[in-house]
Amino acid sequence: MSTELFFVQLINGIQYGLLLFLIASGLTLVFGVMGILNLAHGSMYMVGAYLVWYFVAVTGSFTASALLSAAIALGLGILIERLLIQRLYNRNHLDQVLLTIGMIFVFNSLQSILWGNDPYGVAVPEALSGSVPFTDNSSYPVYRIFAALICIAIAVALYFVVSKTRLGMLIRAGESNREMVEALGVNIKSLYTIVFAIGVMLAAVSGIIAAPMRSIVPGMGESVLITCFVVVVIGGMGSIKGAFVGALMVGIISTFATVLMPTLSNMIIYIFMILVLLVKPQGLFAK
Amino acid sequence: MIFEKRTERIFLAIFFVVALCIPLFLEDNSFFVGKATTVLILAVFVMSLDFLVGRVGLVTLGHALFYGLGGYLFVILTPEYEAVNFWTYAIYIMAISALIALIVGVVVLRTSGIYFIMITLAISQMAYYFFFDSLEFGGNDGLFIFMKPETSIFGLSFLNLDNPSHFYYLALLAVLVTLLAIKIILRSRFGRIVEASRLNPERTEALGYNIFAFRLISYVIGSTLAAYAGLLFALQYGYVNPQFMTWEMSGTALVMSILGGLGTIYGAILGTLTYEGLQYVFEHMSEDWMLLMGGAIILMVLLLRKGLAGYLEKLLEK
Repeated sequence: MSTELFFVQLINGIQYGLLLFLIASGLTLVFGVMGILNLAHGSMYMVGAYLVWYFVAVTGSFTASALLSAAIALGLGILIERLLIQRLYNRNHLDQVLLTIGMIFVFNSLQSILWGNDPYGVAVPEALSGSVPFTDNSSYPVYRIFAALICIAIAVALYFVVSKTRLGMLIRAGESNREMVEALGVNIKSLYTIVFAIGVMLAAVSGIIAAPMRSIVPGMGESVLITCFVVVVIGGMGSIKGAFVGALMVGIISTFATVLMPTLSNMIIYIFMILVLLVKPQGLFAK
Repeated sequence: MIFEKRTERIFLAIFFVVALCIPLFLEDNSFFVGKATTVLILAVFVMSLDFLVGRVGLVTLGHALFYGLGGYLFVILTPEYEAVNFWTYAIYIMAISALIALIVGVVVLRTSGIYFIMITLAISQMAYYFFFDSLEFGGNDGLFIFMKPETSIFGLSFLNLDNPSHFYYLALLAVLVTLLAIKIILRSRFGRIVEASRLNPERTEALGYNIFAFRLISYVIGSTLAAYAGLLFALQYGYVNPQFMTWEMSGTALVMSILGGLGTIYGAILGTLTYEGLQYVFEHMSEDWMLLMGGAIILMVLLLRKGLAGYLEKLLEK
């Protein structure tokens, strides 16, 4: 492998890893705070991608469509939490798993009813459509760099919110002792609604950002969901820092595996995850 | 009495009477008999999962690994154009599956809780991609079974597996044997300790039991039963492919087992029948059956606290 190819693949891997982090962050946040394993998290990623595709087709503006889609996702998150998730807080974890599997069915079906089963693509917004020269004869698309920067910005914002704001303080408190937070007069119900809605929005935003880079196809949610599981398990369930490290590892490993050992490329992240769990049964950054 | 609850006895009595009669009335309708056979095979798979998840406390999302393994092992072990003896090979396949489950179990049982869910998922995904990416095992198309095995025992043959009704009874027998086996295991001293270690692992350990060993043996039992179900399924349709091992397959079985009433074992049969029944009806009602199915699942989760079995028990137990 030439140095040039190595660096291109490394950047690809980091960029993919950052996107994975963005999707996984919502999953791990909701699990960490609420203890809910949301199997429909991948569906929210799919919803984001389809929404932005639809609005771009209607309005022609990527920015407006992205903002609108993210807002709809936030509303959807509030709705789902209030209507469904909230009713299952006192129930067995497996009931929550079952509920979110039911949601996958519903969202996949709505996708096929509303938008059909053809693959779609979203054009890269004009302002970001160029590429940056990398070496003499290779270049890197601006949009991918932009996407990576957005992911980093959101990661920083998430870190800031969780560690520096009052909401973040409540989130951290809620993670460690729900009853105590409630006893101190905090409305844990609305806190949960907010956290769940943020989780949904993070997944949808990832879908929006990914839309111009990947094809929008039925089933895109499930494949991303499983990869996200691998990410959050490697990092330690509930840990946002862990999700960040896990996502970069998975992104880089799977990108290089595709080039270096194509026959193993599908299996490699699972092998890696199993190795991590054998050494650290609770992931790298377990609490 | 091995079946403690009245509801359980009533349900199982009705189920087995109806199930025994189905081919008698529908002999001409081989499609329906075939469909019913599939449902019975799935019920075996779901019962084995219900045992692990509901009774041993091992929530696995990779159970389909062994379902697929049962099918793949048959094709790999048997000569292509020669009918082998079903029982002999069933024993071989279950023994090899048990050995593989033992190895997998030693790895996965190092973790617990949510990490156990994820590591079982990862291992089955690995197996899925192993078969998916391999040329010698047919890749995504899988492998075909050209000759159905013969089923003679000591030279006596009762069942002809090319006959749909005969295959149906083989599947029904599997349901009965699996149900009884799990029930007997659960009532035994071994089963009591396994359940104790689900309910209170610390105390069970403090009593001097090696929880790991009990869980490992249970994992091997559940996985071996799943492999037998997978073997039957592969034989019924004459092929095996990586789709047998998808996480959706494991997930659907989990849905059936939770819907039926987790840990009740007979609820696994109930859940499988209900799920498959609903899917059949919805598929014929609308192209968008998944919407109806998803809605039905969500409604049942919200309304039924302990699954369908729990609901029936509320009606019938006094």
